[in-house]
Order: sequence, then C-alpha cells, then structure tokens
Amino acid sequence: MKDRKIVLPEKEIPRQWYNVQADLPNPLPPPLNPATGQPITPDMLAPVFPMNLIEQEVSSERWIDIPEQVLEKYLIWRPTPLHRAYSLEKFLGTPARIYFKNEGVSPPGSHKPNTAIAQAYYNKVFGIKRLATETGAGQWGSALAFACNQFGLECKVYMVRVSYNQKPYRRIMMETWGAKCVPSPSPDTNAGRKFLAQNPEHPGSLGISISEAIEDAVTSKDTRYSLGSVLNHVLLHQTVIGLETHKQLAMIGEYPDIVIGCAGGGSNFSGFALPFVRDKIHGKELKIIAAEPTSCPTMTKGPYVYDFGDTAETTPLIPMHSLGHGFVPPPIHAGGLRYHGMAPILSRLVVDGFVEARAYAQLETFAAGITFARTEGYIPAPETNHAIACVLEEAKKAKEEGKEQVIIMNWSGHGIIDLAAYDAYLSGKLEDFVLPDEEIQKLIKDLEKFPKPGK
Amino acid sequence: MVIDFSYCVSTNEGLPCRNIVGCFQGRMDIITLLRERFTEDELKRAFKGLPKSRIERIIESVNSDS
Repeated sequence: MKDRKIVLPEKEIPRQWYNVQADLPNPLPPPLNPATGQPITPDMLAPVFPMNLIEQEVSSERWIDIPEQVLEKYLIWRPTPLHRAYSLEKFLGTPARIYFKNEGVSPPGSHKPNTAIAQAYYNKVFGIKRLATETGAGQWGSALAFACNQFGLECKVYMVRVSYNQKPYRRIMMETWGAKCVPSPSPDTNAGRKFLAQNPEHPGSLGISISEAIEDAVTSKDTRYSLGSVLNHVLLHQTVIGLETHKQLAMIGEYPDIVIGCAGGGSNFSGFALPFVRDKIHGKELKIIAAEPTSCPTMTKGPYVYDFGDTAETTPLIPMHSLGHGFVPPPIHAGGLRYHGMAPILSRLVVDGFVEARAYAQLETFAAGITFARTEGYIPAPETNHAIACVLEEAKKAKEEGKEQVIIMNWSGHGIIDLAAYDAYLSGKLEDFVLPDEEIQKLIKDLEKFPKPGK
Repeated sequence: MVIDFSYCVSTNEGLPCRNIVGCFQGRMDIITLLRERFTEDELKRAFKGLPKSRIERIIESVNSDS
C-alpha cells in the first residue's frame, strides 16, 4: 500500500519565517506616499498597524523567529499534509509525480489563517484590543475572525454587500467565532454613509470596504487594521507553507522541477514558492509558475488604461502570455472579487524572471477543478483551480515529452463554501460563446435601474 | 461567488470595474457599450493611469481619516 500523504511531525514545524527581501537581487524600492511622492516612513503606517508588524514589513533580516504563542496556535492544524496525487496522475496518464500541499485543512478552510494568527498575536502583545478589516467573498474575514477569537481580540469585518447577501455561511462562520460582520457600505463609517446616501442598496466594492475598515481603525480606540494579502509581512508569515513543504519533500528524497500556485494578491503563492525562489536565486534550476485568471490579470497583463478617442489598451508592464485557448469569460463571474494590487515582492520576481506568470480562463479552471475533485476527491476553492489548470498543463507536457517531472502545487483552500460557483458551472451558466444581441440588450436594459456616477 | 454584469459596470463608485474590458471583451463589444453608457470623462476617470497599490490606498485613507 503506497503512502498518499507525507506528514511532518509537529515538533518539526518550522520555527522561523523566511524573508525573501534578504535575497532579492534587485531590492524593492520603498513605496511612495501618494500625497508627497516621498518614500513612506514607518510612522505613517502607525495609525493602521502595530509597530512590531511595521518592523517586519520593512525588515531585511533573512529569518524571523516565529513566536511560541503563534506556533501553539499553528499546531491546531499545522503542519499541513503534502499529498501525492496518485489518482490524478493515473487519470492523466502522466509520468510526472504530482504533489499538493493541502492548506484546506485549517479551520477556516484555506491558507489565510497563517497570517491572521500571526497578526492577531502581534496586535495583542502591542496592546491592541480590536482589529478591523474588509473582506470580499469572506475568506479573509473568516480567517481573521478565527484568529482574533484565538487571542481574545474583538473583530469587525466589513463585507462587500453583494457578497454578504450571497454568502451567508462565511458571515455565519465569522459570527460563530465572535466577530461582528456588517455589509459594506455600512452606516458605521463616514465612508459607508456617503455611499449609502447615494444608493441605500449599494452593492459595495472592495475599495469601499477597505476605506471603511481603515477609517474604523484610525478613528477607534485600541483598534488597528489587518489585511490578508499583498504586504510583505503577510507574505513573510505565509512562508511557513513552503518551509514545511521543503522538509516534507526532503523526508522522501524529492525535489521539485516545477512549483505552482494560484496568485490573486500573492500571499498563498508567495508563501509556498518563496523558499524555492531562494533556491533558484542561488542557482537551482526549477520552474516556478504563478497562475492567475485571464479576467483579472495583474501579472500577465497590466491594468487597462483608457486613452481619449482610443480603444482601452493594456499598459505594457510585462509581456503577455498567450495560451492559445478559445475560452472566453461569461457574463457572470464565479471567481470572486479582486482588488488590483499584486504583492510588490511577487511582481518583482516576475519581472526579474524568477517566477513565470500564466493566465487561465474561467471555464478551463473549473474543468480542472472538477477533474481534481473526481480523482483526488477534494473540491478545490475556485481560486485554487487556476493552479490546478496549470498543473494539468504541465503534467500533459511531461506526458508528451516522456519526462518524470516532479510537480508540486499549493492547494490553497477547499471550495465547500463556494459551491454556488460550481453550481453555475455545472448548470451551464458559465458558457463559452459570444452573447447574442438580445442578451446584450437585456443586460443594457437591466442597467437602467442603477445610478450613473455623479459629476 | 457569483456576481453579475450590473455589479461590474457600476462597482467603482458608479463607474465600471477596471477589469471589465478583460472580463467581457470576448463575449460582447464591451467598449461600445461602455461608451454608450458613460461619458469620455467618466471613462477616463475609471481607466486612466495606473491603479493605486495597496500601500498607497492605505496611506491615502489614513490621510483622509486623520
């Protein structure tokens, strides 16, 4: 009987996080204050973050000790198992050996609590009593609610209204862990009241929720803001994933040829890949691939920019990868809400060639997720499916080339609470054809009830 | 989660989401639709320049709330 999981003993859990900033060949420039154009200083962030996290944000130390109190909480679900995907390999008929790191076993169901727990701890020891945050689909909000409960902090989550209405289970998770979750825009902040005055049924946006959470943090006593992706300290905390994986592979004498993860804000990908990026920076040959959606590209295409009199064009940040597929996005999105802003560390690694970025269209990712669920059993989060689509692509290539590639991927979360997206896919609502005119006219007519922007 | 077109076209303070062209250009003439619904100024506001980074967004919010 073959072992399907490589389990790292609890006493072997990594005791330090890895800070890639110590090894970047081209260091990141400091972010600039948009008001002055001058580099941001730590005191500018003090109203939103405790100084211990700000120090991590700007640190260039290679290894940062994980506090014992954080490790104690990590042990609730960590180390997470590394699975060998025997069933998937057999289905694909590939000589590749595929491993997936199962971050879906955490109480909230994803990798997010790796940083939520750390941030709750650091805020607690700094004397903070309450954290405020925003959440789109609820993954981050539920992770922070869990973490705050573990450390006895209050937690207020501003959830984008359209998501709050559609995903009651994530809100219920937050409330079960003792957090207060409100639909955003809310009447609790000036930012929220402004948008509610325009439209009492405003569907909200991540941008509005961020504004509400930050206003709450800045204006409330003993409160700070917390976020689940993009920033350096968040990626730092997530490296526990890749550091465990390193050890687990060493237990069985394996080393990857290809490292794959999905990338939205970049935290789960970075957490998984950065320890391997370190190896690559020091000369190891391996492919590291970040998979993102074609619908919300931040690495494969720059953001769309509109020029007067011209078609909207992309900014030439980096060359676009073409997959040559005919899939097109549907008029409804099942992949979640996204805020522009890939982690600067990840952007740098893509530009410098250490990480390759690839974009996958929605239908392809769902097909990949279904293949995974029907072979390995676990139902992936829609975001995770982007990584799986990439795994299938590389496994197919290995089959064509007859190569025994070792492919590892971060299985960033389960999709048990995101089944509406699978329902849309399985019931054929995510279709792959150009909309006929009458459908387009119907969409335009539906817009008439929505307010146009003010002057 | 599942969101529909009306959200995409209005989520940015009544202006379209920056991703809307990428998301819909394969299914319809989204550019023409956007031009019919919005003025040139509104489209410029929605799409011109690079979006703010997360840190810039945070600092901007702190500055306006302080």
